[in-house]
Amino acid sequence: MTVEAEAAIHADPHHIPADADYLTYERGWKSWLTTVDHKRIGVMYLISILLAFFAGGVFALILRTELLTPGRTIMEADTYNEMFTLHGAIMVFLFIIPSIPAAIGNFVLPIMLGAKDVAFPKLNLASLYIYWVGAIFTLVAITQGHIDTGWTFYTPYSTRADNSAIWMTIGVFILGFSSILTGLNFIATVHTMRGPGMHWRRLPLFIWGTYATAVIQVLATPVLAITLALLAMEKIVGVGVFDPALGGDPVLFQHFFWFYSHPAVYIMILPGMAIVNEVIATFSRRKIFGYMFIAMSSVALALLGFLVWGHHMFVSGQSEYATMVFSALTFLVAIPSGVKIFNWLATLYQGSISLESPMLYSLAFIALFTIGGLTGLFLGTLSTDIHLHDTYFVVAHFHYVMVGGTVFGFLSGLHYWWPKITGRLYDERWARVAFSLVFIGFNVTFLSQFVLGSRGMPRRYYSYLDQFQPLHMTSSGGAYVLGVGFLVMAVMFAKSLKSGEKAGRNPWGSAGYEWQTSPRPHPHNFAEQPVFTRGPYDYHLASERELFTGTDAEWDTHVAKKAEA
Amino acid sequence: MSTDAHGNSKFLQHHYDTPAQQFGAAKLGMWLFLAQELLFFSGLFVAYGVYRSWYPDAWVVGSHLLDYRMGTANTCVLLLSSFTAVMAVRSAQTGNQKATGNFLLATIFLAGCFMVVKYFEYHHKFEVGYLPGQHFAPHGEGLVEIVAAARETGVNGVPFHLRTFFGLYFVMTGIHGLHVLVGMFVMGWMWNRNRKGEFSKRYSTPVEMTALYWHLVDIIWIFLFPLLYLID
Amino acid sequence: MTTESTASHSHSSPDDGEVVSHIASTRRHVIVLLGLLMFTALTVGAYNINLGDWNLAAAVIISTCKSALVVWFFMELKDDVAFNRVIFLGAVIFMGLFMAYTMNDTRYRNIVDAYNGGRIDPRTGELANGTAAGIVAQGGELGPLPTLPAGEADGEPAQE
Repeated sequence: MTVEAEAAIHADPHHIPADADYLTYERGWKSWLTTVDHKRIGVMYLISILLAFFAGGVFALILRTELLTPGRTIMEADTYNEMFTLHGAIMVFLFIIPSIPAAIGNFVLPIMLGAKDVAFPKLNLASLYIYWVGAIFTLVAITQGHIDTGWTFYTPYSTRADNSAIWMTIGVFILGFSSILTGLNFIATVHTMRGPGMHWRRLPLFIWGTYATAVIQVLATPVLAITLALLAMEKIVGVGVFDPALGGDPVLFQHFFWFYSHPAVYIMILPGMAIVNEVIATFSRRKIFGYMFIAMSSVALALLGFLVWGHHMFVSGQSEYATMVFSALTFLVAIPSGVKIFNWLATLYQGSISLESPMLYSLAFIALFTIGGLTGLFLGTLSTDIHLHDTYFVVAHFHYVMVGGTVFGFLSGLHYWWPKITGRLYDERWARVAFSLVFIGFNVTFLSQFVLGSRGMPRRYYSYLDQFQPLHMTSSGGAYVLGVGFLVMAVMFAKSLKSGEKAGRNPWGSAGYEWQTSPRPHPHNFAEQPVFTRGPYDYHLASERELFTGTDAEWDTHVAKKAEA
Repeated sequence: MSTDAHGNSKFLQHHYDTPAQQFGAAKLGMWLFLAQELLFFSGLFVAYGVYRSWYPDAWVVGSHLLDYRMGTANTCVLLLSSFTAVMAVRSAQTGNQKATGNFLLATIFLAGCFMVVKYFEYHHKFEVGYLPGQHFAPHGEGLVEIVAAARETGVNGVPFHLRTFFGLYFVMTGIHGLHVLVGMFVMGWMWNRNRKGEFSKRYSTPVEMTALYWHLVDIIWIFLFPLLYLID
Repeated sequence: MTTESTASHSHSSPDDGEVVSHIASTRRHVIVLLGLLMFTALTVGAYNINLGDWNLAAAVIISTCKSALVVWFFMELKDDVAFNRVIFLGAVIFMGLFMAYTMNDTRYRNIVDAYNGGRIDPRTGELANGTAAGIVAQGGELGPLPTLPAGEADGEPAQE
C-alpha cells in the first residue's frame, strides 16, 4: 500500500479503493445480509422477485393446463380456486409491485443521481427484510391451503368462509410496509441526495417515473394496510365493519381495497414506462422528445390514479352518481398515457434506431400497452362494462397492461442494465429468440382471451361451455410458448453469468449518467463524485469517451491508435 | 470538504456530505412517514363518516355511553404531553441534557396516564358488555345506561347499530392506543440515548423526529375525542 | 463541495453545512398549550349547549384549529421547508378525497331507482327483480327499549 493510500484511509475511514466493485469488495453471505449498499439490496430484491415470478408463473401454467378441457382436467374445482388466488396474490404483491422500483430502481436510482446511496440505507435493508417476512407469511398461507378468495379478498366471503386468508392478509399487510418504506426512501433520496449539477430538469426520466410511483406508494399503501387490518379484526374479533349482518357494508370494503389497488396499478405501470423512456432514448441515439411533458405526465398519472378507483365497482351496487363520476374521470387517464406514447414515437422519428433486445422489449411495450390501455376504455364505459365485467375480457385487458406493460418494461430494463449489474454481456441472439417466444406466446395467450370474454366467458370459472374450448386451448398453447420463452431467457442469463463476455462501462453507447461509472459500479457508485454538466439525453454534448461502447482497455488502444494516426 | 465534515463528527453518516443535508433528509422522511400515518387512519375516519351518516341514532346513543369527562381528562393529558415533548426538543437543541431527559420522562409519564384512563374505560365497557360487532351484548348496568342514554337523547328504542359504533370505537381508540404505546417505547429509547450523552446542540435529530411522531398521535386524538365522545 | 441539492433543500444551511435549528421560546410553547386547552374547554362547552346540526361542524372546526396549532407551532411547520408543508397538506387532501368520494356513493345509493320509478316488470306491473326500492336505511333500525326489572337490572342482551 502506498503512503498516499494509507494517508487517505487515515483521513477517511470510509475510503474505498477506486478500482473496487460492489460485488467483490466484500465477500461472504454475512456481508450480503448486513449490507446497506443499495446495489446489493437491489440485487437481493431482484433474486427474490424472480423467485416469486417463477412461482406465480408455475401456478399460471397449471391453471392454463386445467382449462384445456371443460370440467376436470388435472385438478378439482377447489384446488383451481386456490391456484388462481395464489397466482394473483403472488404476482401482484410479491412480484409486480416490488419488481421495478425495489429491484431495478434500488440499483439504478442513486447512481443516476450521483449519490453514494439512498437517503436511508438501513431503512432500505429493513424494507427488504420486511419483504421477506411478508413472503414467509404468504408461504405459510400456501401450506395452510384453502385460500380461494382471489387476490382481492372481497368480503363477506373472505371473512365468513373457512379459509386461511388471514395468513395471506397478514402477509400482504407486511409487504405493504416494505413498499411504503421503499417509496419514502426514494422521495427523500431524490429531494436531498442529488449530486452537484443535478437539478430537477436534468433528472433522468426513469427517476421521474419512480418518483411518481413513490408518491403513490406512500399515500395509497397505508389505506391497504388499514383495510387488511380491519379485515383481520373482522375475522378474529367480529368487529362487523364489513359484515352486512352486523350493519356493515361489504361495498365499503371494495372502496377501501380499490383506493389502494387502483393506484397500485400505477405503482406497477409507471416504473415500466420509466424504463421505456431510458431505453427508447438510448437506442434511438436521440434526445428524448418532450422531456418535461413525459415527466409531468408521470406525476399526472400518479395523481389521476387516485380519482378513478370506483370503475372496479360499476356492478357492485354503488351509487349511480359515484358510477358516473368515476367513469368520466377514468377517461382522463387516457390523456397522460397518450402524451407518453406520442412522445416516444416522436423520439423514434428520425432517430438512429438499433434493435437490440432491450429496445425490442420497449417497442413491444408501446404496442402492447396501447392495446391494454385502449381496451380499458371499453371497461370504463358504463354500458359496455355491464356486458364485459368479470369476463375474460377484463383478464386479457389487465394482462396486456401488467404483462405486456410492466413485465415487458421490467425485462427491457433487466436486459438493459444487466451489464451494469453483473459486469457481463449476454448472448444477443438467444435474447432475441427468447423475446420472439415471449412476444408470440403472450399475444396468443391473451388475444384469444379478449375474444372469449366478449363472447361471455366469465373469469375465474373452473369449467365452461364446449363452444369455448378451441379458444381456451389456443390460450393455453400460447401460455406454454410463453413459458418456454422464459426458460430460454433464464438459460441465456445463466450462461452470461457463468461465461459471459466482460462488459465495458457503456455497452449500449448511452448518454445516461449511470453508464459513466465502472462496469460493475464502485461500492460508492462513483470512485470520485461526478459533477453533472449536461442532461441525460444530450448526445450532442456527450464526449466520445462517454459514448464509447468497449472496455477501458479497448479505449486505451483506441486512443493510442488515434494518436498514431 | 466531505472528508472534513466526516472527520470531526461521529453522527454524520458516510453517504451524506453535510449535517444539514442529513437533517433535511431525516425531516423529509419523517414527514412522509407521518403522511402515510394520516392515510392509515383515514380509512377509520371514512368508515366512521359512512356509518355515522347511516346510523345517527346509534351514534348519538353510543356517544352518550362514553364518559366524556374521562375523554376530556385524556385530551388534556395528551395536550400536556405534546407540550413536554416540544420542551424536550427545545432542551436538546439548547444542549441541556438533564432537562431533555426530564421532559422525556414527563412525556412518558403522561402517556402512561393516558393509557391508564383508557384501561379503566375499556374495563368498564367489557364488564357491561359493550363489545364490538358480533360480541355486543349489554347486560346489567349496561342496559340501564342504554335506556338512560336513549331517554336523554330522545331516541325511542335501542339502536341495533350500537354494535357498529362500539366496533369502530374499539378499533379507532385501540389503534390509537397502540400508537401511544409505540411512542412511549421510542421515547424511552430516546431517554436512554440522551442519558448516554448522544445528543448535543449540533445533533438532536432523533429527539425531534420522535416528538414529530408524538404530535401526530396527539392530533389523531384531537379528532377522535369530539367525534366519539361529544355527539349531541 | 456543497451541492445544489443541499443548498436548496435543507433546513436553511449555512456555508459550513451545519444544522441551524429555529429554537422557539418557552413562552411561545406555553401560549400554544394554553390555546389548546382553551379550545378543549370550548369544544366541551359546545357539547353541553345543543347546537343541533352545527354540532358536528363545530367539533370538526375546533379540532382543525387545535391541530393547526400543533402542526404549525409544535411541529414547527412554520419554519420548515415548503415541501414538508406540501407533504402534510397533500396527505390531508387525499384523506378528504377518500372521504368525499366514498360518501358520494354511500349517501346516494339506489337513488336513481327511487326517482325514475325503478324498472317495472311489464308482465306483472311490479318492480322488477333487483330493483332497489329506495334509499338505504336512514337512521338504522331500532329495537324496543328493554324493560328493566325494578330494583335490579339483570336483563337479556338487548338485541332485536
